[in-house]
Amino acid sequence: MADRSARPSYRDFDWRIRLITYALLILGAIVMLMPFAWMVSTACKPPIELNKLPVRWIPENPACVENFNLLYDQSPRFNRYLLNSALVTIGRTLGQLVTCSLAAYGFARFSFPGRNIIFALCLGLLMVPFQAILIPEYLLIRELGWLNSFRALIVPGIFSAFALFLLRQAFLQIPLEIEEAATIDGASPLRVLWHITLPLSVPALAAFGVITVQAAWNDFLYPLVVANAPDTRVVTIGISLLQGERRTPYNLLMMGSFLATVPMLVLFMLLQRYFIEGISMSGLKR
Amino acid sequence: MASSRLNFLGPTPLSRRRALWGMALIAPNTLGLLFFFGIPVLIAFWTSFQQWNALKPPVYIGLENFERLVDDQMFHTALTNTLKLLGLTVPLEIVLAMGVAVLLNQPLAGRSLLRTAYFLPVVTSTVAASIVWTGAFQQRYGILSSLLEPVGLGDYKWLVDPGLVLIPIAAVTVWQRLGFDMVIFLAGLQSIPGVLYEAATIDGANRWQRFRHVTLPMLSPTTFLVMVLAVINSFQIFDQVYVMTLRTVPGGVGGSATTLAYYLYRRAFTDSEFGYASAIALVLFVIILSVTVVQLAGQRMWVYYEAEKG
Amino acid sequence: MRKAKRQLVAVLLVLLMSALALPVNAQDGEPVIQPQPCEEPGQLTMWVWDEAWAEIIGASIDQWAAEYCPGAEVDLQVQPWGQYWDLLQTNAAGGDLPDVFNMSQPFFYFYASNDVLLDLQPYWDQYGVDTTVWGSGMVDPYRWGEAGDLYAAPVNWDTIAIFYNKDMFDAAGLEYPSAGWTWDDFAAAAEALTNADEDIYGAEVYLEFQAGYPNWIAATGTTPVVEAGRARCTLADEGSIEALTFLQNLYQQGYMPSVSIVGSTSPDDAFNLFASGRIAMVAGGSWKLPVAFEEVPFNWDVVQLPAHPETGLSRSILHAVGYVASSRTENPDLAANLILFLASDEGQRYFAEAGGVAPANPSPALQQLWIDSFGDSDVNIQAFVDATVDSQGVTAFDEIWDAINSEIVVQIFDLDVPVEEAVASTCEFIETQLPEQQQ
Repeated sequence: MADRSARPSYRDFDWRIRLITYALLILGAIVMLMPFAWMVSTACKPPIELNKLPVRWIPENPACVENFNLLYDQSPRFNRYLLNSALVTIGRTLGQLVTCSLAAYGFARFSFPGRNIIFALCLGLLMVPFQAILIPEYLLIRELGWLNSFRALIVPGIFSAFALFLLRQAFLQIPLEIEEAATIDGASPLRVLWHITLPLSVPALAAFGVITVQAAWNDFLYPLVVANAPDTRVVTIGISLLQGERRTPYNLLMMGSFLATVPMLVLFMLLQRYFIEGISMSGLKR
Repeated sequence: MASSRLNFLGPTPLSRRRALWGMALIAPNTLGLLFFFGIPVLIAFWTSFQQWNALKPPVYIGLENFERLVDDQMFHTALTNTLKLLGLTVPLEIVLAMGVAVLLNQPLAGRSLLRTAYFLPVVTSTVAASIVWTGAFQQRYGILSSLLEPVGLGDYKWLVDPGLVLIPIAAVTVWQRLGFDMVIFLAGLQSIPGVLYEAATIDGANRWQRFRHVTLPMLSPTTFLVMVLAVINSFQIFDQVYVMTLRTVPGGVGGSATTLAYYLYRRAFTDSEFGYASAIALVLFVIILSVTVVQLAGQRMWVYYEAEKG
Repeated sequence: MRKAKRQLVAVLLVLLMSALALPVNAQDGEPVIQPQPCEEPGQLTMWVWDEAWAEIIGASIDQWAAEYCPGAEVDLQVQPWGQYWDLLQTNAAGGDLPDVFNMSQPFFYFYASNDVLLDLQPYWDQYGVDTTVWGSGMVDPYRWGEAGDLYAAPVNWDTIAIFYNKDMFDAAGLEYPSAGWTWDDFAAAAEALTNADEDIYGAEVYLEFQAGYPNWIAATGTTPVVEAGRARCTLADEGSIEALTFLQNLYQQGYMPSVSIVGSTSPDDAFNLFASGRIAMVAGGSWKLPVAFEEVPFNWDVVQLPAHPETGLSRSILHAVGYVASSRTENPDLAANLILFLASDEGQRYFAEAGGVAPANPSPALQQLWIDSFGDSDVNIQAFVDATVDSQGVTAFDEIWDAINSEIVVQIFDLDVPVEEAVASTCEFIETQLPEQQQ
């Protein structure tokens, strides 16, 4: 499509500016990468190299396989924890996709009494510091009789003020005319949402997916409080259990963290192309 | 009869129907949020009027917790630190994230790798991040110190000097939030119609003018979203303080790194003053709410919604 | 003196060899603590904070359930150490507490003073256990009430000694330190071992409550930081100021690195610098022994902390993890019976054999079993056992933990705040926390 070349393109830049921006981007990327690189390097260090100073980024005697096996020796149910995390993450993400896209659409496109107040109320929940409601949250789940269950891990997580806000902003950016045409044709709001609004919001949905998935996957304090039983334990808790009061096996901690990070990275690499390959709206628009 | 009862929903049958649809659409998420988060918030609100250490039954003490706040020096320090961090992180975070997103939205060799790199901090383990960053800011042996050594700035005690400690905390905050904001900006950039750039180019606009007059206004709903979220997040900075000061002085020497979220956590779980901690949380909530309301009110001045035009 | 000790160890070893041929419970010597059968089996929940411990404790619970309480069921749950206390409070808020759980000395006061712990003293009396078999440092912090009832059974102990780099002593032509050495000997060695040109420091001994400066305060005869019964801050006392000034002087001379150079207030990080050959002498806990055996690449040994030149005292802070029971438990008798077994010679054997942490039960056979768990070596592990005698229990508590573990350390050993000034502000803070702690 012609529009792509008409966007302000990087190629328009003078080669010197291009070189400098490239250099800056790469420098920034290195800063972003450093802790991750350290994580990988430590995951492959034998104990004797862990605390060596000055720090070595490449282990002298790599022990990746040994540490991998040692991790499963110490935490034989680690795969189960990964599976639990996956279940929780999938449950929450799909749930939010339904509840929050419906709600975002409702807030973005329909007017009804109290709309702004209810929206502000939902948004207000984003502003409550989580540390303050940790104990009340536990009390509520306990009262429901949901302690140590997947219900406790998934159900509250399918409602989100953040996803609501994100998707509402995205829907607001879609021109009204497109939907109006369909509405006049007699399509119900659900059909419009499913066939027009959501497909037009693929980039925002990709952002939603990436952020929601990683938040659910990395959740630690809440699952710890409501469901730290062997059968419902998620991977973040599994990793934290490798550490004792007087014992910090950094190589195993980092091996565990690495194994837990890889699915997130793969997901991001798969989804990030949707940030550009979302259905281009220019053709549909006018 | 039925319609007259529903009159408050709208003047015409169509508008009433749409109002019902709207309420039905928002119902599941709204009710779920109110139940699973609203109830705990109400319990926390109730707790702020109690004296409670979690082991013994709570005792109602009226406004005493709030009165204590007025004279609590550490609360004032935490509030000041929180505001300083807001100033240090939010503008930088937004500008950098927008810049990186705009650049990484271009056809660029290795783009997806670069994007992944910028997203990495969002998924990197907090333990790894804390070790690398506290190590980097270590006096004399740290990476940062050795980089600054030639300019004579190598000997700073970044993590213990009360005058400096907020800088590493702000740096790590920006480091971690950049990828998060970038993702939202990247999505937002996609909804800018290419025809607008075409039109601008035909009108003879240069790169900067196109950015200024097309990208910026069209991206403004996203920028607004990122800004609101960044402000909320910066008021809730907790992990970064925890992680950067855990190994030196938790919360900083004399509380120099203590934020409101960190302070309320300490008051709750270290000092077992859950009532007082809830009072701090309530004040923090009111502050965030007021700032957000101001932002919402102010958005008319600069946020451009495609759907709402003319 | 040294020779005599070697001989003693040899004799003990021979005794032990013969003892080891038989199961511990069939030994000649009377066990220190004898388990008892339970009256009625039932169900218990139990919390621990360490996965490795859970395995060890799980094994001893299995033995208890098999031999002393058939039919009993224990739901053993592991919680991460970093969030253990937060979780305990969260559960308590809902009215739940595990029936039996691990306790740490600094946290005991909070739980005891809120009446949520079961008084175990009646059971000690009933079972005929003399609670003075455990050293004062192990159990005094777990006593509560006017009669000094013992509410916890100690699981393990750890004490502090000086790890030193023998190669560096050789290179400097110094004799190795030995028990009974004094602060002056220590200061002289620190000076001689320091090599500023090569970034090598003579010592690092001030960090954190347990391994750090409070040991030196205790050697002056002053109770470190807070007086028994939480009556008063002792940091401004003469002995505290003397100890802190002595250490600050060594730091200011450049014999000890600052907190910023170590990178943290953790003695574990100082130990890493020791293991990397940058510090010649470091204060370390007995929990460092496994790491030292595995990771230190040069010749090293352990010596007890130097004695104060006038008082002649060498004092180590001792910390013992304990088992406690909830006062809300439905099976108090069963909980106490389980705790008795876990504290008994039989129950503690699992800890001794696993190595790492030393068993709290003072049976010489168990202590030797622990020493032997490190294999054949010349290292003076006995220094840690010796340090349990007349040791000082942890007087710090959660609310003042950071102030005394890191804040004052950074002020004195990094920001060069004069000792008198630093202790004054720290004491002022501690005093604000004391009245709340009192009943």
